[in-house]
Amino acid sequence: MLTLAIFSMLLGDNKFFRWAEATYTATVIGHSVVTGLLTLKDRFYPLYTGQKPILIIPLILGITSLFVVWRRYAWVSTVAMALMIGVGTGISIRTLIATDVVGNVRAVISETAKVLEGSPATRLGYFIRIVFTICALLYFLFILVPKGGPGGKFFNYIATIGKYALIVYMGIAIGNTIQQFVGTATVAIDRLISTWLGLS
Amino acid sequence: MRLPELKSEYIWAVMMIFFLIPAIHPIGLPFPMDPVTYEVYNIIESLPEGSIVVMGGGGVFAFDLESSAGMIAMIKQMARKGLRLVTCPVWTEAPQFHKYVIDAARVDKDKYGGPWEYGVDYVLLPYMPGGDMVVFDSFLKDVHATVSVDLAGTPIDELPLMQDLHDYHDIALWICPHWGFVSVIRIVAAQYGITCISPAQSTAYAFFSPFMEAYPGKVYMLNGYVGGAQYEALVGIKGLGHKVMDSYAFASTLIVLFIVLGNITMLSRMGGEEE
Repeated sequence: MLTLAIFSMLLGDNKFFRWAEATYTATVIGHSVVTGLLTLKDRFYPLYTGQKPILIIPLILGITSLFVVWRRYAWVSTVAMALMIGVGTGISIRTLIATDVVGNVRAVISETAKVLEGSPATRLGYFIRIVFTICALLYFLFILVPKGGPGGKFFNYIATIGKYALIVYMGIAIGNTIQQFVGTATVAIDRLISTWLGLS
Repeated sequence: MRLPELKSEYIWAVMMIFFLIPAIHPIGLPFPMDPVTYEVYNIIESLPEGSIVVMGGGGVFAFDLESSAGMIAMIKQMARKGLRLVTCPVWTEAPQFHKYVIDAARVDKDKYGGPWEYGVDYVLLPYMPGGDMVVFDSFLKDVHATVSVDLAGTPIDELPLMQDLHDYHDIALWICPHWGFVSVIRIVAAQYGITCISPAQSTAYAFFSPFMEAYPGKVYMLNGYVGGAQYEALVGIKGLGHKVMDSYAFASTLIVLFIVLGNITMLSRMGGEEE
């Protein structure tokens, strides 16, 4: 019923759709609340059973973080927030540099080597990837670039290719997103047909 | 000649019909196979019986459905091979998604007469808050310190499978059927050296596929429903991936048809205006 009601939006806004929309929103909020309560129970299970009394510290920090919604006492939540952001950043920063920076540079170097091997189509594919990657990166270079003269003109050409590379990337991203939505719609229709109507 | 105005409702109605045809009767249109899909299949196939695989990560249920085509096929393969599975959900909707894909694979002994028994062959863990990367790091260092009970509230110490899972040394493979694969790459693959596979959503594939070049032999991705359909073909089933591939083909043909029709309409009107 809810799936049909959501699909009815294709025929224009209607009460059936608005009912489904409100039900969906309420369900999401209800699910989050229940998950939150269950998580509280699950995570602090060793505290309740006395296996890990040290868990009292995260429990207190968790409670203090709720003060963020109370403007007068919002400062109480700062310690919990600082710890959460600090630990999160501390763990992610070292891996971010290793994977996103060093890892991606390694990927570009590896792809550059592949320009010289494989079928002509594969070589061309890797060549375009390398050119687009470098040009797109240079598009965002605003300092230490030649202004005017032959150097400046050449850099402008590179930046223009980079701009086109970004447009191509956005086109692909939008195409993939549409593909994803089409797939999600197909799954919903498939569920209606196979689970509800038992037709396939 | 003046073409009549085509209302968007009619376009959607025709589109819906074109979706319904392959959903009721999958046609099985051909699609190309990706060498990476073969590699992923062989990796799972080569794992020794009893190996522990983690299905972990986080994402939005509705979009994660795209990953379910490949994930369901993988679960069927793992159950057939005698591998064991533990989930590690780090987003609130992930536990339900993990339960859904295992149910959809129909591998549970009690529910479907399949080869997997809960607690022995697979375990569903609850949502673990704290942020993707922080939880992964903690989970891989000490599973039992990170999580105490399963999704149903049973202490994990009482589950036979969890007796064999203590830290990253016990994990043979990590599969992430979610959008948040990049966090898995950063911690699980890059830091702990565990092979990671993602039956990814097509959008996630576009974003994160360069990591396959950055970590060759450690990071693998299947591309959306196409990858799912390819994996289904290797496992020998015709599931969601096949249905969606047929729908894509039908819908794409229709979109091209509408583009042509739209252009003809525009050109005919331009001619009329000039007159």
